[in-house]
Amino acid sequence: MHNIQSRRQFFTTGRNIMGSAALASLLGQENSLFAATHRPMGPHFAPKAKRVIYLHMVGGPSQMDLFDYKPVMQEWYDKELPDSIRMGQRLTTMTSGQARFPVAPSKFKFSPAGECGLWMNTELLPNLAKKVDEICWMRSLHTEAINHEPASAAMQTGNQMTGRPCLGAWASYGLGSENENLPSFVVLVAVPSNRDQEQAISARLWSAGYLPGEHAGVSFRSQGDPILYITNPPGVPDAIRQRSIEGLNRLNEMQLAVHRDPETQTRIQQYEMAFRMQASVPELTDLSSEPDHIFELYGEDAKKPGTFANTALMSRRLIERGVRFVQVYHNNWDHHSNVAGRMPSQCKDIDQPCYALLEDLKQRGMLDDTLIIWGGEFGRTIYTQGNLSRENYGRDHHPRCFTMWMAGGGAKGGTIYGETDDFSYNIVKDPVHIRDFHATILQLMGFDHERFSYKFQGLDQRLTGVLPSRVIPELLA
Amino acid sequence: MVRDTALSASGLLQDEMFGPGVKPYQPEAIWDVVGLPGGDTRNYVQSEGKDLYRRSLYTFWKRMAPPPNLEAFNAPSREVCTVRRERTNTPLQALVTLNDPQFVEAARNLAQLALQKGKSDPVATLDVIARRTLGRTLSDAEQAVLLDSQQAFAEHYAAHADDATALLAVGASAVDESISAASLAAWTMVCNQVLNLDELLNK
Repeated sequence: MHNIQSRRQFFTTGRNIMGSAALASLLGQENSLFAATHRPMGPHFAPKAKRVIYLHMVGGPSQMDLFDYKPVMQEWYDKELPDSIRMGQRLTTMTSGQARFPVAPSKFKFSPAGECGLWMNTELLPNLAKKVDEICWMRSLHTEAINHEPASAAMQTGNQMTGRPCLGAWASYGLGSENENLPSFVVLVAVPSNRDQEQAISARLWSAGYLPGEHAGVSFRSQGDPILYITNPPGVPDAIRQRSIEGLNRLNEMQLAVHRDPETQTRIQQYEMAFRMQASVPELTDLSSEPDHIFELYGEDAKKPGTFANTALMSRRLIERGVRFVQVYHNNWDHHSNVAGRMPSQCKDIDQPCYALLEDLKQRGMLDDTLIIWGGEFGRTIYTQGNLSRENYGRDHHPRCFTMWMAGGGAKGGTIYGETDDFSYNIVKDPVHIRDFHATILQLMGFDHERFSYKFQGLDQRLTGVLPSRVIPELLA
Repeated sequence: MVRDTALSASGLLQDEMFGPGVKPYQPEAIWDVVGLPGGDTRNYVQSEGKDLYRRSLYTFWKRMAPPPNLEAFNAPSREVCTVRRERTNTPLQALVTLNDPQFVEAARNLAQLALQKGKSDPVATLDVIARRTLGRTLSDAEQAVLLDSQQAFAEHYAAHADDATALLAVGASAVDESISAASLAAWTMVCNQVLNLDELLNK
């Protein structure tokens, strides 16, 4: 390609010589610039997390029923949430009309786990409890969003308005692809065993926003073709497809020789990649090569396409093959009612697979540079939504504090960061705003969040935006 | 545009205007995985007849799961106005224009039309295809590549009648029975190549 000198290529070369962000922004780069070159921006310093698996629990898991132990609440059973705690804060319309806000203590059994001694729900998460010392716990996440779509958008993109690039797209943009056969950012939507209170999720959550479209998440499906249109039409065997792409590329090369448009060069490469994807995806999704002990580790559910266990195993297979960012969605954590009925199956879905994923990656020596993230889009209220008994209750959305965890990839295991009040209502120590969380993740991925930007609409757009945000050093190993 | 161009070249495009949205070919499990239980767009019921071939402008739009073959080409979400449509070039787009039944069927119809007009003469047939897609004639070198491909495809489909039948069965439109299945299948693959040319998709 060196003998071909077009305007775009001149700029591309110049960009490499003079440093990426500087010249690109000076020139007001076009989106197609990156699409045509596939050169990632590159990290600012050596990344500790070279790959990420983000397990998003859609609906907002209840922090005080899982990881934020509040024993004092047992004495507060059915008593009114004090005004001194609520402080007139906004509620969703699902409970703002309630006459009372009686406290619902968790019905589950908590005990201290590991050497770090995190008090957690060991009744429903016995396997995960074995990993507490490898996990970095954050009990003081907070967000402004109070409903699912804006909250998920904020968690993924740093902004409640949809249309911004999500974390995975930033990772793909910044670090690029590590493989030639698969996309750099893959999305897996797991189907929970219980689907009573699912929330809608859509491709807007994994869009590339203003970043070039190639950085959008590619959703691998558990029904039908894993990637849309990956299968040849009936009656077209691989050999014929290969023959047709060879001919096609010869014709495209003739055009390239005449017009010297790098976009044509890209087209040729993309058709080759499409063909390689067609060849590699069946191997990727075929779990028959996994030995029995892997299914013992992840559980038998891992054999069923679409289960969370299957998704966890698939995540490992994806990052093993060089996929940069795997975004998993597991739905039905929106427990407005019947926490007692729903929480056990939700936890059963994820407990063993989360343990297995950490263990599996560790055994393969991949946990050190693979970051696992777990969490929802907000937390839940200590007061009940609807009827209350010792045995059952509901919980509304609560953005002011919730728990998330990270493991591997430079996150400090055994850390318990942040503290909430006795009601798990307000943060009393070490708050972590979503922006701080994003800044910290970017730090692990090798980026200074203040310099990691993309020129759009005349601004240097950043994942962490312009409001105050900081990397939290206590979370870093 | 990409879809409409293929439909237009193949002679399938319906230029009827106005009326409610239509539901052309769509892979399974697009709507039901995101649709709310009991929602009236939970199940996708594909249109029939000419509604499969109307301009993409008339394709029914479900916001949570837009038509995937348009989405692959960065169809705007329609939530806010779009000043500049993004231009990208991805392997997923290649998979759409190579494998989507809409495009495979268009390739077959273009092949039928070209074979009818070209009176089965390969060079004349290629000329019809080139004019209907690229709006120009082919150079000798280009012709040679396509005829070379055509020959390889023809050999395959002559030896594998099942493959030819399967390929021709893609899409709801009628197959021209007067053309031999092996020949039509081979020319369908040639048209599939032409419909995937950078010159057609990018210019």
